Amino acid sequence: MKVEFWGQEFKVNMVVGCIGGFLIAVLSSMFGFGGGPFMVPLMTVALRLPMYIVVGSSLLAIFFNTSVSTIRHYQFGNFDLIFFLAMFPAAILGGYIAPQIAKRVSPLVVKRVAVVGLTLLALNLLGVY
Amino acid sequence: MKKRTWILPWVMAAAALLFGSNTMAADETKAAPAGDAAAAPTITIDKSEISNGGVIKVTGKAPAGKPVYLEVWADGHDVRASRFDAEPDKDTGKRPYIFYITGEMPAYYKIFVPKDLKKVIDEEKKLGNKWSYSKLLKDLGADAAYSVPAKIKIDRHQSSLMASIIGSRGPLLEAMDEKQNRGRSMQLVKARFRSIGNVFAPEIDLKPDGSFTAELTLRKGIAPGEYKIAAVVDKQTRSEVKTFENKISFPTVYLANAGTSLNLVWPFLLTLAVAIFGVLMGAGGGFIMNPLLLALFPALPHTVVAGTVTPTVLFSQGSGIFNYSKINFISWKLGCGIGAAMLLGGFIGPKLTEMITLAQFKFAFGWILLILAALMAWQTTPGYLASNKKEQAILKEFKKRAEEAAKKK
Repeated sequence: MKVEFWGQEFKVNMVVGCIGGFLIAVLSSMFGFGGGPFMVPLMTVALRLPMYIVVGSSLLAIFFNTSVSTIRHYQFGNFDLIFFLAMFPAAILGGYIAPQIAKRVSPLVVKRVAVVGLTLLALNLLGVY
Repeated sequence: MKKRTWILPWVMAAAALLFGSNTMAADETKAAPAGDAAAAPTITIDKSEISNGGVIKVTGKAPAGKPVYLEVWADGHDVRASRFDAEPDKDTGKRPYIFYITGEMPAYYKIFVPKDLKKVIDEEKKLGNKWSYSKLLKDLGADAAYSVPAKIKIDRHQSSLMASIIGSRGPLLEAMDEKQNRGRSMQLVKARFRSIGNVFAPEIDLKPDGSFTAELTLRKGIAPGEYKIAAVVDKQTRSEVKTFENKISFPTVYLANAGTSLNLVWPFLLTLAVAIFGVLMGAGGGFIMNPLLLALFPALPHTVVAGTVTPTVLFSQGSGIFNYSKINFISWKLGCGIGAAMLLGGFIGPKLTEMITLAQFKFAFGWILLILAALMAWQTTPGYLASNKKEQAILKEFKKRAEEAAKKK
């Protein structure tokens, strides 16, 4: 498939894109995470697209997944309204506070902290400690 | 004439059954069902109200020399429990793939047993996740005490690969008979309450003369409302049912779908911290939020965690898309193309959440997080950083152009 974006044309292998997107969507809706950190590498590395076309488009693709899985989770009775109302304002508030802090911290440091944190969480889930 | 005499006992039996079960369902607080009324145990409880959990002291008298069990359940609130049976059948080796689900599991259910049975419970605890509710019930001799969940309505769905693909639970199978229902309900009790400590506790001090005392500790976070308690010796000998109430007050709120009460301040603060960190590290908060919630609030079912965290990112995603679309910085063709595949995936995923157990959920999520950590570690390597710097510069340049173009319009 050919995609035009700001005067440039890209060839996109939709088979790889769709299979990868589908698998990521199943996992992310099953476990309730966003999927962005997997979608961006998929589109930049596997589909060889430049970052500037990926940022917006991957968000759009994930949005489809999130909305449908929200509806499905609701149908299966997995959605708890009160619990949601406790978390939702905090998520929005966090979205406003974060950019203020972002200017002051190095993204590299944040990423490294995240790597350590994620590994610890993963080991906790796997029951290592 | 002959025919009539044949039918008569059956009709009477049916009537007795109907009548009997009706009266039992209608009013459980009435004294022990027919049987040896004189030997029925008596109980008294020291208070009729607790506040977000607490200790209830029970004293009573039962026939001497027999073990006594206390059955305690939440009467006001029911929760969902489900279990996907894919274990090979013992005789045929075939996997049944049947999905059991009920909406009538009491939000709290626990059987308290005499203190000298602690060994039996500890023995079963050694099995870890593989403990069996029905076996433990039998080993403890508490079979007779198990009454309330045995009567819940359980739906069975015949799952299949095809049904899972279209995101359905599969066709509904016919209802089970009473005995089957009882057996399956025990598996659902385990699926719902998970750990032995949540459903059994050796707390009853039994004297040789049959008098007993027990201090029942009800944990924090259990459902509010009416609780019932009955002492049981065997099937025929049950005490009358006593009632007490669990009260909770804001900000502790009962989450109906999760079947647990929670102080809402904690999820709020947690989400705030995780959301900020998530934006900084460039990954959605869901990755951190889900495992943290599971670790910090073990009472929350993983299905509810996944199902409730998912929509919290909808808004930030939506506003992100809106901002990009304002400057025409989205390739709708590419986004919708891959989005279509992701839409299908999002349709199937939530179905799978309820088919796996918490242990499987944690295992898979653990590996996903490890992969994510590896991905992020790769993103901090010098090679990646150098190429990323170029990419970011191009990204900025294009974004600037896009913004300028949007302004001109």
